[in-house]
Amino acid sequence: MRVALADDGALFRDGLVMLLEAAGHEVVGCTADGDTLVELLATEPADVAVLDIRMPPEPDGGLPTAERLRADHPEMGLLFLSHYAEAHYLMRVLHIGTEAIGYRLKEKVGSVEVLSDTLTRIRDGEIVIEPVLAQRLVERPASSRRDMLATLSEREMDVLRLMSEGRSNAGIASLLFVAAKSIEKHISSIFMKLGLPSDAAEQHRRVLAVLTFLRTVQDSG
Amino acid sequence: MTLDTYNAAHSARRRADEHWSRRRDLERQLHDGAALRIAALALRLGLLAQKAPHDIGDLPHDIEELQNQLHLIQQELRAVADRIYPPLLHEAGLGPALCELASSTPLRVDAGGGRFDPAVEGVAYFVILGVLAALPPATRTVDVVIRRDADGLALNLGNVDTGQIGAVRDRVQWVGGAAEAGDGLIGTIKVRIPCE
Repeated sequence: MRVALADDGALFRDGLVMLLEAAGHEVVGCTADGDTLVELLATEPADVAVLDIRMPPEPDGGLPTAERLRADHPEMGLLFLSHYAEAHYLMRVLHIGTEAIGYRLKEKVGSVEVLSDTLTRIRDGEIVIEPVLAQRLVERPASSRRDMLATLSEREMDVLRLMSEGRSNAGIASLLFVAAKSIEKHISSIFMKLGLPSDAAEQHRRVLAVLTFLRTVQDSG
Repeated sequence: MTLDTYNAAHSARRRADEHWSRRRDLERQLHDGAALRIAALALRLGLLAQKAPHDIGDLPHDIEELQNQLHLIQQELRAVADRIYPPLLHEAGLGPALCELASSTPLRVDAGGGRFDPAVEGVAYFVILGVLAALPPATRTVDVVIRRDADGLALNLGNVDTGQIGAVRDRVQWVGGAAEAGDGLIGTIKVRIPCE
C-alpha cells in the first residue's frame, strides 16, 4: 500500500517509517507538518495519509490538513494518530468524513499486523476507532443516555461496543463466536431499545449513529 | 480601589498567569518528551517482533506484553497530564474540556463558545474538579453553565454542595473573581471572573 505521513515528533516518525516498510508498504512521503504533506500529496498519489493530530499548524494541525486532503483527494484514506484518545477529537474526525477514516492511539499501532489491519480497513472504506475510546463511550456515555443503555442485555452491550469500533456484522460474529444472523437480531434489538433508525446495510452511518447517540453531539467548533 | 490594592491585585493576577502558563508548558513537555519516546519505543518493539525468527517460542508474546505495559504507562502519564493542565483545555477551551470530563463523571455541561486566557480557564476547570471531588459518590448530576458576558466568565454550578463556597472563593479570588452560594445544602454556586 502507498502511505504518506506527517508527524512533528522525529522519533515517532522514523519508527513509523521503519515499521511501515517492514510491513511491506511503500512510504511515499514523510513530513513534520500538515502543510508540507498537502503540497507533497498534490503530485504523489497515496492510498492512506497518516496524520498526527497535535502538530503544526498549531494547535491541532492534523484536522485542517485532513480537511484539505479530503477535499483534494476524496478517495484517499485518513488515519489520525494521537497520544490521547478523546471523544472531542473523535467527533471532529467524524465531521471530516465517515468513510475511509480512522483514529487510533500511537502506541497501539506498534505491530505489523495491527498497523496493516488498520490501514487496510481504512483503504477499504471502513471507519476504524481506537477500541479503548469506543469502549469508554459505550461504558460511560453522556449522563442523559445512561438510563437507555441500562435496558441493553450484556450480550447487546458487547455487540454495541464492537459496532462502535467500526466492526462489520461478520467481524462481530467471528469475535463473539456466534452466527452473523444472531448479530443482526441483536443489532435490531439495540437500535429499537435506543430509538435509532435501523439500516443494517449502512455500516458507517450505523457507527456514526451509535457514537453520536452515546456522546450527545457537542459543538466542536 | 486605592493605588496599593490596585497594584496588589495586578501583581496577584500576573503571578496567576505565570503559574498557569507554567502548568501548560509542563503538560506540553510531557507530551513532546516522555509520551513521544514511549510511542516511538512501542514502534521499535513492533519492529523487533517482525525481525525475530518465528520459531523462537514466547518472544512475540513477550514483546506484545511489553507493548501493553507501554500503553498502560502512557495512560498513567495522560492522567498526570490531565491533573497538571488538560491538553484539551489548552487546545479547545473550557467547554470541550468539560464535555470530555462529562464522559467519565456525573456532569452535565452547557457551554457557550469562546475562549478565556489560560489562567481563567485553568482556575475554572479545577474549581469544577474540586466541587465534583467533594460530592459523595453516586449523587445527582452536577449542572455546569458557562457563558461569556460583558464582564468576563460567568459560571453557574447547580446541584453542588454549597459548603464548598469557601474553597471555590479561595481559588477564584486569585484571578480577581468572586463566588456566591445559594440556599440549601445542595444548591447553586455562582462564579464570576473578570476578563479583558
